[in-house]
Amino acid sequence: MNEKPVDKLLIDLKERAKELNCLYQVEGIMSEPGLSSTELFTRIVNTIPSGWQYPDVCEAKIAYGKIEVQTESYRSTAWEQHADIVVQDQKVGRISVCYTEERPQSDEGPFLKEERKLIDTIADRLKHRILHENLKAVFDREKRHGESSEGWAIILDLLKRTDPKLLTRIARKMLNQLTWRGLEEAHRILERVSPPPARNGAGEIQDENRPSRVSASQELLSVAREVFEIAGEHLPEADILNFIQKCIKEDRSGFLIKTLENPNSSLAEIAAAIERFRHLLPQGIELSPTRERTFQVSLIQRLLNDDPQFVQVARQFISLNDFSDLLIRIIYPAGSHGRLGGKGAGLFVASQILKKHSEGHEILKDVRIPKTWHITSDGLLSFINYNDLEEIVEHKYKDIGQVRQEYPSIVQVFKNASFPPEMVNGLSMALDDFAEVPLIVRSSSLLEDSWGTSFAGKYKSLFIANQGTKHQRLLALMDAIAEVYASTFGPDPIGYRKERGLIDLHEEMGILIQEVVGTRIGRYYMPTFAGVGFSRNEFQWSRRIRREDGLLRMVPGLGTRAVDRLLDDYPILVSPGQPTLRTNVTVDEKVRYSPRQLDVIDLETGSFETVEVGKLMQEFGYEYPDVHQLVSILQEERLVQPWGIGIDQYRDHLVVTFDGLLSRTQFVEQVSTMLKVLESEYGTPIDIEFAHDGKHLYLLQCRPQSYGALSQPAIIPRDVPKDRIVFSANRYVTNGTVQGITHIVYVDPQEYSRLPEHSDLISVGQAIGRLNQLLPKRQFILMGPGRWGSRGDIRLGVSVSYSDINNTAMLIEIAQKHKEYVPELSFGTHFFQDLVEASIRYLPLYPESWGTFLNESILQESPNWLPELLPEFAHLAETVRVIDLPGTAPGMMLKVLMNGELDEAVAILTPQQTEPEERPVRGGRRMRDSEQTVDEHWRWRLHSVEEIADHMDPARFGVKAMYLFGSTKNATAGPQSDVDLLIHFAGTKVQKHDLLTWLEGWSLCLSHMNYLRTGHKTEGLLNVHLVTDQDIRNRTSYAVKIGAITDPARPIPLGRKIKT
Amino acid sequence: MALRKTTTTVAVKKTAATAVASYNPFDTAQKQFDRIASLLGLDEPTRELLRNPIREYHFSIPVRMDNSGMQIFRGFRVQHNDARGPCKGGVRFHPLETIDTIRALAMWMTWKCSVVDIPLGGAKGGIICDPHNLSVHEIEQLCRGWVRQIARDVGPFVDVPAPDVMTNPQDMLWMLDEFEKIHGGRYPGFITGKPTTIGGSRGRKEATGYMVILTVREALKELNIKPENTTASIQGFGNVAQHALELYHKIGGTVVCVSSWDPADNKTFCCRKRSGIIFDEIFSITDPWGTIDRKKAQELGYEILPGEAWLEQDVDILIPAAVENQITVETTPKINRRVKLIAEGANGPTTPEADLLLEQRGIFLVPDILCNAGGVTCSYFEQVQGNMNYYWEEKEVFDKLDSKMTAAFHAVREVSVKRKVGMRDAAYLLAIDRVARACKDRGWC
Repeated sequence: MNEKPVDKLLIDLKERAKELNCLYQVEGIMSEPGLSSTELFTRIVNTIPSGWQYPDVCEAKIAYGKIEVQTESYRSTAWEQHADIVVQDQKVGRISVCYTEERPQSDEGPFLKEERKLIDTIADRLKHRILHENLKAVFDREKRHGESSEGWAIILDLLKRTDPKLLTRIARKMLNQLTWRGLEEAHRILERVSPPPARNGAGEIQDENRPSRVSASQELLSVAREVFEIAGEHLPEADILNFIQKCIKEDRSGFLIKTLENPNSSLAEIAAAIERFRHLLPQGIELSPTRERTFQVSLIQRLLNDDPQFVQVARQFISLNDFSDLLIRIIYPAGSHGRLGGKGAGLFVASQILKKHSEGHEILKDVRIPKTWHITSDGLLSFINYNDLEEIVEHKYKDIGQVRQEYPSIVQVFKNASFPPEMVNGLSMALDDFAEVPLIVRSSSLLEDSWGTSFAGKYKSLFIANQGTKHQRLLALMDAIAEVYASTFGPDPIGYRKERGLIDLHEEMGILIQEVVGTRIGRYYMPTFAGVGFSRNEFQWSRRIRREDGLLRMVPGLGTRAVDRLLDDYPILVSPGQPTLRTNVTVDEKVRYSPRQLDVIDLETGSFETVEVGKLMQEFGYEYPDVHQLVSILQEERLVQPWGIGIDQYRDHLVVTFDGLLSRTQFVEQVSTMLKVLESEYGTPIDIEFAHDGKHLYLLQCRPQSYGALSQPAIIPRDVPKDRIVFSANRYVTNGTVQGITHIVYVDPQEYSRLPEHSDLISVGQAIGRLNQLLPKRQFILMGPGRWGSRGDIRLGVSVSYSDINNTAMLIEIAQKHKEYVPELSFGTHFFQDLVEASIRYLPLYPESWGTFLNESILQESPNWLPELLPEFAHLAETVRVIDLPGTAPGMMLKVLMNGELDEAVAILTPQQTEPEERPVRGGRRMRDSEQTVDEHWRWRLHSVEEIADHMDPARFGVKAMYLFGSTKNATAGPQSDVDLLIHFAGTKVQKHDLLTWLEGWSLCLSHMNYLRTGHKTEGLLNVHLVTDQDIRNRTSYAVKIGAITDPARPIPLGRKIKT
Repeated sequence: MALRKTTTTVAVKKTAATAVASYNPFDTAQKQFDRIASLLGLDEPTRELLRNPIREYHFSIPVRMDNSGMQIFRGFRVQHNDARGPCKGGVRFHPLETIDTIRALAMWMTWKCSVVDIPLGGAKGGIICDPHNLSVHEIEQLCRGWVRQIARDVGPFVDVPAPDVMTNPQDMLWMLDEFEKIHGGRYPGFITGKPTTIGGSRGRKEATGYMVILTVREALKELNIKPENTTASIQGFGNVAQHALELYHKIGGTVVCVSSWDPADNKTFCCRKRSGIIFDEIFSITDPWGTIDRKKAQELGYEILPGEAWLEQDVDILIPAAVENQITVETTPKINRRVKLIAEGANGPTTPEADLLLEQRGIFLVPDILCNAGGVTCSYFEQVQGNMNYYWEEKEVFDKLDSKMTAAFHAVREVSVKRKVGMRDAAYLLAIDRVARACKDRGWC
């Protein structure tokens, strides 16, 4: 981008503003009631010069019939332009504009092409005004003359001469009206102009295969008089006049419908039509409900989304006026036919829903939407075309490795490309509108808006500080947009689209430019707090919480930390329906699980940063808006809410709890009402993003609740034979699927309660901890009695810490009845937030309750591998049972299907899958589950290992055998998994060195291949373990894997490709 | 599909008890008492009196829930023995609370108060509830409800509650307020564990950790070793460990290793500095819940070692101050030959089997009942201050703590030498002897 176009642009922008201003003034004058023609014209000619490029030398004149008005110095010069006022095909007047001095040449002499448009538009408006006046004169005359004469006849005459098409339309409507009233005469006319469908003998209407005859409008015109005569006989004069008047008014919106219904009309045309419509409104446009709905629906389809479900919801809440407000902030390329994309459309609809409901819910009045500009979805294509980058569109069909390799250069190409001038125009206007407030540029993909597809996190969202001169800000904004555009061609979204079969669809991506809600604190800028909300709670931490109580994940600062699962920090979880039931109750828990970091925008460096809450508080303390609602003070084992003298930011230990916000403000009620209203209007669970600046709550995004592929409500099969069900449950079930389970660790509740010694109970916990390290990660589930991880009395709950269970896929607490009472389960509360962040599923089982089933023959009678795996815990074999599913039932794995809507869950044995499963999702579309295509990762790893083995010369390296174990062997490798090789080595030191060097080469090479496939960088993919003869004899180290009873290492034949 | 297990795959060690009884903490406590009672040669009526609580209260607490429904909770107070003075003991909120747990804990309180020779008896109370299912308001109602039901049978001269599992200083204030409403006056000595701003005692935070080191100091005297010539390794870096480190440093010792828990990867690790850990330095990189910043520690020259390493250090003193069951039959062999003293800052860090191994190795043990009694001693001070409505300066608290503790240590040591038993048994012998004597003096048995 060099500087010149921008300067030119700013000049252009000023001109457009002047022209628009002039037009609005003209409209304003025309809508003033009671002006005589002369007054009207005088005021208009005085307004006109202000809209032209050189107002100081600009003069104007209007001639109409005998009236002629002009500005003071108007004269005929060499530099003039004219527009005729044509009413009823007759030229009745003329508007003239002249420059009294010479000015540089432009599109039409010294005049701009936009000025030509402007003068034509003014002429057009005058024409309508004149026609309107004429008709009004007739009506007035009629009224004055009373009911004696048939006024409608005069109008008909007038219309016949002036606008026969309009007359035809009015006559048709009148005829319909009369026919509905059951007037025989009218019916006969109707039959004449449009003969009825042929009937057979029985009087039934026959469907003919040929088109019915269309009556020419000419015929209707000729019967118009007849129609009105009939009307005159049956209806009062005043009614007829009213009817005609209404028809004429309604007919004025005809241009809008023409524009909207025409698929070729561009966004610019639609915007102009709506603008015109809006200015006509004060002059009286009648809209029938059906017509209004037509407008709404076509606008929704054109601008937002044509999904029928979406339209159904949207049309109830969006009026035409709302659209014209929206259109002001849409940037589109010339001739655009684009839409806003999923996020943009979702936010617009949600904002309208809230607006409408704020009448019934006072509390919603305070909810705001941040100022948002949109770039339509075809902006991307226009950008590509403008820079001749068409070949990039084909990029998506390349191999994913190549896509990844080329992506950085695409980003550079995009960032160095320039934007089409009309987009630069728009962005410049947007920046003026925003002023110097930080912005977020978010993608708003069209593929994303189909209800049920989530591209969450696949495309980029970029924060920009938006500081500095207008020029700098514009460059930064364009740079950010280019980068977001480039992210369409990134390996992740392309991989994702390939997996989901969406690759052939044209990716059109809208852009949302949104003001970042927040305040400046020192050098930082951020919201007071932000978060995401779900109208359905998938993580009940207490049996008192129902799914419909919803869930909020909240953090101080930018909401980025609430959206993603965090590895090293925790968001605050709140169920808005039950805000008093908190996840963390003891002071210890509240402190441990409080957010310690926050994301901010550094206005000085213009970058996005993560800072420590503690440090920020110490530095700024009270400057942080509403700080006393966010933090509590840790004081002698108490968390005290700050008030009164309040916080000593240097000495107090502050903990983010949101306690004040949740108990002393109306925030919970506000957000809970919002979730309820949006869910009920959308007709489906929804999720939102929100932010708060200390004064107002802002809604940032709204969409139907997205479930990760594995947390959708699972379909519960009804026809599974009982011997394949391991357990079923029907209380406090959440949504999701856990699959690929190879091992069950089952702590028998009866046996556990019978353990005689306290130390035995502790040993059970220790055994679990050891199994957690031994068993394949996320491929085993833990089942056992009572409250896991409970401190204190461990008799009725296995004593474990989170690190003892952190590799499990699922934790199942069994509430076995004990001496006449059913123990209360923990719902994982002791490490609940750890479970949530690590996506470990939780399920309570109540074996005593109806409909719950525990398959004793599987759980109690399958071989128990505990003594082999952990000989030191063999004495617990009665209590702790380790079941190796593929070992017990070859080819089988366990799958747990959970459906929160039905409150049912079932764990069934299913054959190991070779092909990723397909399943229907919302909207009936079938798509592949990305998280299930783990397939690929182990397969190429296995092939590579075989290749290595084929090339390995056992004699050269002193290798006796090679084995494979771990995730590649078990077909569960993920994109980041390494390959565990076990090499039986019996060579010299030199050979060992050679071997390891040789393997290191392979390792780096495989790592690069993996990078090209997945984007995960590692320092080598092979994890080589050497074992000696002695190891094997003593079964020490990894040698135990060779010929192991459970999960043995798999031998790989060596040296098949070595030429001797 | 389920295959029947074959006998070759499972080696089952079936204990005789499996089918008979399940683990019961009160049984365990009674068995422990019986053993000591035999050593003391207590007569049958005294045994009968001390084996069981002297009074038990079981009651219902109706609470109107936030959604306006009523819920009835079960509450308890067990007063094990008050021959030596008013009962003292915590109130627990626990969903799996059982009367036997409370009985066992009440008994343990009697012994604990007795061993440090403070004029209090033992009690424990609780409510079966899960605070995770309750709102703050409901918890307040529960606290007040508990007091309403037991108000006549507790009080500053009868039975003094304190915070325990899942109860905190805030709960104590609600309970105090309810008690004072019922009895129409101000009775700050009714309950302990209050914030210092409203009737709490200074030094409560430091008390337990300091007490650990006071016993260490006295033990070293017994062993004829100067503190300044000793090194120590501490497990844990929470409240107790931190203050232990602080005071140990003050008396001249050198801590070379502490362990800490890292919530980020859910593992413990150790920080070692052979030249000695400086309290201020390591405290400055520790968060309030005892997690040391591993990276910063490395920058400051600390070696980062695995979590178990604290036990294997070449030091004179080990201070387990984290969780139970750390010194076991498996870990004892890893203890360095140099170790001469183990001070149990945590509750139950040594298993009974390991106790024997330590004794065989001649390692001096300061048992938990004595070593970590700083908390209850300070609670006693809080009650005393509350009753006279006059509060001491911190120094006065620490001085009194020191003299109490020193006396208690030597009393136990004396029994240990006289009766030729380990320190743990000696502590129980002394404690039970004192209580039994008080009962007899009162003519109860």
